[in-house]
Amino acid sequence: MHREVGRGEAILEVRGLTKIYPGGVVALDNVDLEFKSGEIHAILGENGAGKTTLMNILFGVLQPDRGEIYVHGRKVRFRSPLDAINMGIGMVHQQRKLIPAHTVLENIILGHPEAGKILDFKKVRRDIEELCRKYGFKIDLDARVWQLSAGEQQLVEILRALYRGAKILILDEPTSVLTPLETEAFLTSLKSMSRQEIALVPFVTHKLPEVFAISDRVTILRRGKVVKRIETKDATMKALAEHMVGKEVLFVLSKPKVSIGGEILKVENLSAMNDKGLLALKNVSFTIREGEIFGIAGVSGNGQQELAEVLAGLRRVETGRIIFMGRDITNASVLERLKMGIGYIPSERLGVGVIGGFSLAENILMSLYFDKEFVNRGLLNYKKIREYAEKVISEFEVVAPSINTKAAYLSGGNLQRLVLSRVIPKTSKLLIANLPTTGLDIAATEYVRKRLLECKEKGMGVLLISDDLDEVLQISDKIAPIYEGRFVSILQAEEAQKEVVGAMMTGAYSER
Amino acid sequence: MWPFIARSLEVATILLIAAVGELLNQRSGVINVGIEGLMLLGAAAGFIAALFWGLIPAFLIGMIIGGLFGLVHAILSTSLKVNQVVSGMGIWLFAMGFVTYWADRYSGPLPRGVVSPRIYELSPMFFIALIIVVVIWFILSKTHLGLKVKSVGENPFAAEVSGVKVIRTRYLCTIIGGMLAGLAGAFLSTTYLGAWSHLPTKGLGWIAFALVMFSLWRPLILLGGALTFGFIWQFAISPETIYAGIPAPLPLLRMLPFVATIVVLTIISREKFRRKWALSRPEALGEPYIKE
Amino acid sequence: MTSLETLKLKLERVPVVSGGQAVRISLLSLVFSFIIFSIFLSIEGANPIDAYSNIFSFALDPNLGLPTTLHRGLFLLFSTLAFVVAYSARLWNVGMEGQFYLGTIGAFAVAYSLPELHPAILIPLMLLAGAIFGAGYGALAGFLRGKLNVNEVVGCLMLNNIAFWLVYLLTVGGPWAGIAESTSRPLPPNAHAPIISYTPFTSYLAIGIAIVLYVFLSKSVIGYKIRVLGNSPTAAQHIGINAPRTYILVMTIGGAIAGLSGYHMWAGDPAFLMIPRPEAYKAIGDLTYWGLIIGLVCLLNPVAAIPTSVFIGSIMMGSTVLVRRLRLPFGLDVLFLGLVSITFAAFQFFYMYKVRRMK
Repeated sequence: MHREVGRGEAILEVRGLTKIYPGGVVALDNVDLEFKSGEIHAILGENGAGKTTLMNILFGVLQPDRGEIYVHGRKVRFRSPLDAINMGIGMVHQQRKLIPAHTVLENIILGHPEAGKILDFKKVRRDIEELCRKYGFKIDLDARVWQLSAGEQQLVEILRALYRGAKILILDEPTSVLTPLETEAFLTSLKSMSRQEIALVPFVTHKLPEVFAISDRVTILRRGKVVKRIETKDATMKALAEHMVGKEVLFVLSKPKVSIGGEILKVENLSAMNDKGLLALKNVSFTIREGEIFGIAGVSGNGQQELAEVLAGLRRVETGRIIFMGRDITNASVLERLKMGIGYIPSERLGVGVIGGFSLAENILMSLYFDKEFVNRGLLNYKKIREYAEKVISEFEVVAPSINTKAAYLSGGNLQRLVLSRVIPKTSKLLIANLPTTGLDIAATEYVRKRLLECKEKGMGVLLISDDLDEVLQISDKIAPIYEGRFVSILQAEEAQKEVVGAMMTGAYSER
Repeated sequence: MWPFIARSLEVATILLIAAVGELLNQRSGVINVGIEGLMLLGAAAGFIAALFWGLIPAFLIGMIIGGLFGLVHAILSTSLKVNQVVSGMGIWLFAMGFVTYWADRYSGPLPRGVVSPRIYELSPMFFIALIIVVVIWFILSKTHLGLKVKSVGENPFAAEVSGVKVIRTRYLCTIIGGMLAGLAGAFLSTTYLGAWSHLPTKGLGWIAFALVMFSLWRPLILLGGALTFGFIWQFAISPETIYAGIPAPLPLLRMLPFVATIVVLTIISREKFRRKWALSRPEALGEPYIKE
Repeated sequence: MTSLETLKLKLERVPVVSGGQAVRISLLSLVFSFIIFSIFLSIEGANPIDAYSNIFSFALDPNLGLPTTLHRGLFLLFSTLAFVVAYSARLWNVGMEGQFYLGTIGAFAVAYSLPELHPAILIPLMLLAGAIFGAGYGALAGFLRGKLNVNEVVGCLMLNNIAFWLVYLLTVGGPWAGIAESTSRPLPPNAHAPIISYTPFTSYLAIGIAIVLYVFLSKSVIGYKIRVLGNSPTAAQHIGINAPRTYILVMTIGGAIAGLSGYHMWAGDPAFLMIPRPEAYKAIGDLTYWGLIIGLVCLLNPVAAIPTSVFIGSIMMGSTVLVRRLRLPFGLDVLFLGLVSITFAAFQFFYMYKVRRMK
């Protein structure tokens, strides 16, 4: 199974791979691919192109409906990830599949057939140190995984796969949460692994430049089909991007001309800690005015979540002040803020934005229950509530059989419409939108952005947190790239150039 | 003085065996609040078996019954994804009803012949309990199996991806946990009490459950906790053997173990300990494992 | 679950179960329990049909078992409501036993200190005291959970045991001990509950509370906040609901309801009207746990709990006749309740999955 492989020999091949989900959605359509030892073969594609499905099939998590998989020329069937691992296929996940409470060594050794019944850490340590030397990796084997940075955790996953004898590594969005320095280190390690005859298959949507630069060849997926295979030396960034999205013209929303009014929100030197007790938000200051959309651009995990929670009243402020309409609300409760007209669209839809087991009407009630108009001597006025609910649900085009339908039956886009229908009509001054379009399809995304622009037209101030740079650039008036808890800059939309903002949010402009 | 210590160690034995079993299945991510019920079932089965067949069969049967209902809990919570607290409660309430119906007709002491051998008044089960604790400690901290168990309790998805069989591991730990609770119950009814009465566990199973939480899921700390609470429990029952003339009336003393439990629970919930406690707690404890 | 594939069955995950389906599952679990119970009856040598007709004919006969059926059944209703209000916030109030004990302490402390008061004043005072004592004990458990984050199941169980020994202290060699060594202490006549139609007025009180609780949970603002908290603590936090305060509130209300059951139990049973010895006290204390199962089977609906509690009460009453007439062993009623508990737990599975045949 782990025989010596000559350079350039095909390790893994798939032919005619097809996967159709219940409901008729064709995730993969007759995909042919091969991966040769020592090459870096990047797979590009947008959300929904079929990358996740392909990855899961290659790693044994899913079974294909049609098509074959060949390892070293032999036809194989993966019934589970264990089969794939035993065949030399390793995977590095975007959301780390590691045990945070255990050490690096313990994570690497888990489940390894040669680890023996009684753990012999000495031997494993020697082997891993040898591996690290071979590839030029640097890591503290006795550190607990929760103490490590994103880049180091990724290294642990790589080591784990290599120690299991992986000859081909599938990498899921490997650079998406890495800082520039970590990305550099990662790319170097890719090169050294490739020199050692490991085949590397990065699956990417974002951060094309780095991966593109280092790959030998690129395959582009769109709507489940392979649309282009190209040697990297023959490709340009522009051509790759065009193939990824197709020749369709991307919609451009026209930003309405709105006069910017008075100051709604003023944040001064705000700092806050994250759940681990580390400072996640560091000395942030900015203002939002009436009719203004303030967009925070950045990779998730740089303090945006903490900022949203602090403004909504869900997280304590360490230092700094929040001034809303001239009042200091730094220590105001969530309920007080809601009554003041601050609306919060949380990043988590089902379970936080709406409750699955509640009907549509009961969900709308989440933003009404403290409003005297709907309460009569402690009892809820269901007649008024129903009338109101029907009104906003039709206004926000939530598709459902009735207002008594339970929210759990709604699809992603509809769920978000429900959240909007609950929050926006009850927001009078400031709307905080936390990752409002994540995971939504094109139509739903466009709808959400339209609504946000409408809020702007109504004179509200909107704080937009998004990891989609195009989105931020498209609808914001002011843009603040965030990196490691700090605003790198605050730019007017007209002056913001995509490459510059992109570089800022990945740390290229931060002082170290 | 010594008889008192011997009896305290017997209570500690009961607590230790039951609690270390619960510790094991909690480490694999399964919480079993029905441990009092499993003890009851083991106590009843063990007592009846002792009446008919003798002491050793009693312990074996106690373990088998405990393991059986541990299996039921495993099926409900791991395979059928039923809420683990609901499943545990269901088993406990079932045990309360079933055991009353089944064993109360045998109320009374064991016949003379069925008595545990004793070394200086101490039952050998105490040493067996110590061995069990050491074995479980060894497995959890030094063996590959232990690492797998712990990984399943922390992040079953990560464990699955490393080739660990999550479902099988949880079943194993829950069944063993049940067997140990059953054994503890059998020991309670046949040796410590030597007689049957209505629902004889009197809350000991719940104290064992609380002990697992105090112990930060470490068998050696659990040992200390069991010894302490064994002492407190026995003291509450017969304080005069240590200090004649305790001014407090007996019922007040009997409250002691339960008050002590609340006090300890309160202490470990304070900010200072919360951190440490949260870090030791198996991250996936209580969550059903639903494959994507 | 590959073994299921061999049976040509497929499991389908259901996001949320409809109201009608949930009721069907509950009824199915009851029916299943009956089937298993019948098996036990057969093993004991009794004809199940015969047994059931005996049970219900005795239990529901106004001249025979009906008063006790109603008394015990509505006692269970108190416990069920105490559980339901807390579980609506997903809090496990398993402390009904201790809250019941404290309720009796409150109520009868008043009765023994002021036995000469006119019943119209004494009885409401006793009820009030019982409710307050129960509420306080519930609030204690709620505080442990809400503010100190102590697991409420363990906390309640500890408090239950403590409360039992408190009762023991009072009834054995204490101020409530009987005249002779092994008798129970009678209640002052003015404390006896007036009987209306076979049952003490507190039975109607329980029914009234059930209806009020139903309206409270489904139609009031506070009831809504409780339900949001029970469904998703995170969502509750996001819309400004104060979790610790709400936890303490539901435990206090639950404790008050369970506390009321104290008066109902001893002062409402015309055949007894005494403060019993600890063994009898504990036997009733153990009954309170069935409130948990009844509450869950009724899907937390207080109004549905009314007939269900009476139904369970009739089984309890009826099984004593099985013991006497058909010479069956003691404990069948709690066996039945035990079967319902485990069956219902197993049937939870159907809330999440539908079993389908594969094509």
